Amino acid sequence: MSYDKREIFEIVKNNTLNVLPDLLPDDITIDRSLTDLGANSVDRVEIVLYSLDDLKLKIPTSELHGVRDLRALVDLLFHHSTAS
Amino acid sequence: MDTLSTRVMITGMGIVCSIAQTVQEFVEAIREGRSGITKLPEQYNHSVRIGAWIKDFSWQNWLNKLSDLDPAIHRRACKVLNNTTDSTRLSACGAIQAFQNAHSAGMNKTPDELGIIVAGSNLAQSYTVENWKRFSESGRMNPRYALSFFDSNQVGCLSEILAIRGPGLTIGAAAASSNAALFQAFHWIRCGLVKRCLVVGAAMEFSPMELEAFAILGAASCNQFAGDPDRACRPFDQAHEGFVWGQGSASVMLESAQWRGGLPAIGEISGVSLLLDGNHLPDPSADGEARAMRTALESAKLEPDRIGYINAHGSSSALGDRTECAAIKAVFQESISNIWINSTKSLTGHCFSASGTIELIATILQLNGGFVHPNRNLDNPIDLELKLAGNQAGPLSAQYALTNGFGFGGINSSLVVKGNNA
Repeated sequence: MSYDKREIFEIVKNNTLNVLPDLLPDDITIDRSLTDLGANSVDRVEIVLYSLDDLKLKIPTSELHGVRDLRALVDLLFHHSTAS
Repeated sequence: MDTLSTRVMITGMGIVCSIAQTVQEFVEAIREGRSGITKLPEQYNHSVRIGAWIKDFSWQNWLNKLSDLDPAIHRRACKVLNNTTDSTRLSACGAIQAFQNAHSAGMNKTPDELGIIVAGSNLAQSYTVENWKRFSESGRMNPRYALSFFDSNQVGCLSEILAIRGPGLTIGAAAASSNAALFQAFHWIRCGLVKRCLVVGAAMEFSPMELEAFAILGAASCNQFAGDPDRACRPFDQAHEGFVWGQGSASVMLESAQWRGGLPAIGEISGVSLLLDGNHLPDPSADGEARAMRTALESAKLEPDRIGYINAHGSSSALGDRTECAAIKAVFQESISNIWINSTKSLTGHCFSASGTIELIATILQLNGGFVHPNRNLDNPIDLELKLAGNQAGPLSAQYALTNGFGFGGINSSLVVKGNNA
């Protein structure tokens, strides 16, 4: 199954809300980073891994390390989902 | 300040187990002699078919229902407990109760001198097994696993939720873990290291593997009462055939009496002991258990005839019960006819690392409430000289009690407890 970037963003957003229950849906916009939304180092791994689960993707951990904001994360996930 | 004479007061208590989700519920449940033992869910395909399971429990609902909970504690608890082990969640519920209870008793500031000891080791066996299953089937790893498999993660989680900044660690001593933690906390307060210490008896989440392993050793009840859970746990009864596993966690707050400056407390730990048999096997030793009881009495500077009630280790194991009876008789001799004895495990099952804090709370509630709770299923006592509680609650008039905790590996511990009714 393929996803467009908007759908991928929605998946990431839902997982962010699950991991950070204090956030409101409107807090999470494509320009924000998980760090400035209050995610700690383990929260960030959790959000990314749950999103990979939902998208049924596997990405080498090293590729995720340079990701700075949600836009870059969604782009990376989109790139792998269309490549697979 | 002569800290070595500081009295160690019990100022807060909290519990979640198969028969109660608050201390208020627990006192009613033990007075009535309610049992939490039922058949285990069918998916557990092993020899052990019964256990004292916590039913109808959600940590989120539990937190939401707790009145007057500091919103900051509530918020941190929701975040920290969101993805962790069930043992940690149960620990948090008991610990928050005890913390809040101690505050409402007069202390409204958390000093830096608050320490925490989490009792138990290998607490999350079923969590590990479930993560292994998921990993081996899908190759996917729970991102929190690297944190949560450490028992010491509970220290971190609870310190974050309750903003604890003093010393903290876990202590393992099998079924004597809670008593060992209380022993350690007692000495921390006595030597002036901390003014207050939260002792958390953590729930052991056994996987089917541990239960089967206990069954193979003949330690767990899995024969004649498999279809009759209510009758399976029968400490000191001739038909006892092994322990029944219980799920549960209980916490107590201990505080220095000098530091409290005369504020009332729920009770007091007057003496403690923790001694080894020099033996790694599960076999209990009457000499070792007697030595633990005598040493606790010496630590409290009390003669044996001052004790009016014993909360026995009483796990419903044939050898364990017989050994404890012999040890009690050796220590208390002629005063034995005046001492009420029961086992809280007949109601809650054997909660292993949490059993010591659960039984300390049961002891205090009985001393302060003036009753001795039923020892369920005591139809034909193995010893007629001991004053064992029967199937009904009875009146208790005692100032001091003893509570025993004996662990595999020859770890023996006793606590002398004083109520607040004197």
